[in-house]
Amino acid sequence: MIFLRRQLPLLITMITGLLFAAQYYVPHPSSERLLTSATKWLQIIGGFALVLGVTSLFHQHAVKIRRQEAGWGYSVVLYAGMVATIAAGALAWGKESLDGTMTGFGWVYTFMMVPLQGTMFAILAFFIASAAYRSFRARSREAAVLLVAAVIVMMGRVPLGEYLIPVSGDLSQWILNVLNASVRRAILIGVSLGAIALSFKIIFGVERSYLGGSKE
Amino acid sequence: MSLSERMLKIDRRIIFLVIGLCTLLPLLYPVGLPIRISPEVRSIYDYVEALPERSVFLLSIDFDPASKPELHPQAIALLRHAFRKNLRVVAMTLWVSGTGMADQLLTQVAHEMGKENGKDYVFLGWSPGGPAVIINMGQDLYTAFPSDYGGKATKGLSVLEGVQSLKDVAYAISLGAGNPGVEAWYVYGKDKYKFELGGGCTGVMAPGLYPLLRSGQLNGLIGGLRGAAEYESLIEQKGRAVAGMDAQSATHFAIIVLVAICNLFYFSLRQQQGRRHT
Repeated sequence: MIFLRRQLPLLITMITGLLFAAQYYVPHPSSERLLTSATKWLQIIGGFALVLGVTSLFHQHAVKIRRQEAGWGYSVVLYAGMVATIAAGALAWGKESLDGTMTGFGWVYTFMMVPLQGTMFAILAFFIASAAYRSFRARSREAAVLLVAAVIVMMGRVPLGEYLIPVSGDLSQWILNVLNASVRRAILIGVSLGAIALSFKIIFGVERSYLGGSKE
Repeated sequence: MSLSERMLKIDRRIIFLVIGLCTLLPLLYPVGLPIRISPEVRSIYDYVEALPERSVFLLSIDFDPASKPELHPQAIALLRHAFRKNLRVVAMTLWVSGTGMADQLLTQVAHEMGKENGKDYVFLGWSPGGPAVIINMGQDLYTAFPSDYGGKATKGLSVLEGVQSLKDVAYAISLGAGNPGVEAWYVYGKDKYKFELGGGCTGVMAPGLYPLLRSGQLNGLIGGLRGAAEYESLIEQKGRAVAGMDAQSATHFAIIVLVAICNLFYFSLRQQQGRRHT
């Protein structure tokens, strides 16, 4: 049992990890065929992951409703929304419109999901303004530098800023292209090196937390 | 409580009201200030402009309705430009929640430009797997999408004539609001299958993509509503993005003024507290 639970997954990870790391550098047709078939599998597994995710969500909220935990009413709303949307989707064969006519599923998407998500995003502007007023203070030299850079970029990114202070556009462009890009690149290189190190640890079985369960 | 203290603890509903008015008034009474074109947006426009007729243009609409205000105008402007140039448009999405919206916007612009589904454009829809879909398309487009969003077999569609994989795409643009998005298209697509790639993203994401732009990994970048407004100006077909620029100008200025006021009162309070201590 230990072999099936521990050694076998580690072996599969090691073989596939090394195989596909090498595959990238081998342009032979059989190597390419292997990649095609593997990505097809990945897509299929991705589909199952979606089913797994939805099932887990259903289960989690069912428990919350059964135990009447705090906020269980929201879980009822979520349940009703999900069941109704799945039913509407199944009835419409997953299509928003059939022969040019909007289906129930399309109605849910266009008149519920689109405006709800749009509203959530739009509310952000109000909270950002409020948060900026409360916390964007030049408490230290570093904060002052951040503040000045933010003001320049905010001015340079809108026509009114460029109209009032013409140089703000070029300054903002310089901040984004030079200062921002160099710092971001440094972070990106660091993150990538970390990802490579982690990949090696997973491939060679040093990092095993993805297997779940208790420590051996 | 001093004036500075009271001002620093101002009711946030007043700030909400200021932002609300700054958004609403310019939309009702537009000023129409000129929009300067940035080099990163112009390079996308120039690349599309230079493509020969019937080249394959892939647009990956990798966002959901939450990012619609910024990315929808970008998609519309790009599609209008591509259709005007008589390119073959292949659209798709890596975000399942964006599928319906992507289909609607493509159908709307294609209808407006008098284009025919299957001949001038195709919507492949969504397929599970995220970045794996990009690799799969790079290997064989028909394995990744055996049928289009409407259920028609992709093999045999005249819009895909001569297209076997991503290697046959003349230009691809990902309009991304997160992951998978622009970066995934570079890492899993362009780097291996060698096609030219441009990007479009929300305003907050743009600074994060500048390193890719500077290194030539992206040939251009349309950032946020401003980028969309620039593209609309370039194709000389002003739409929602240009209309929204006055509102964005006003809200940016409102935030700058609010931050300035808050700092003014903050330093005044610090001065008062310093005097009290001495």
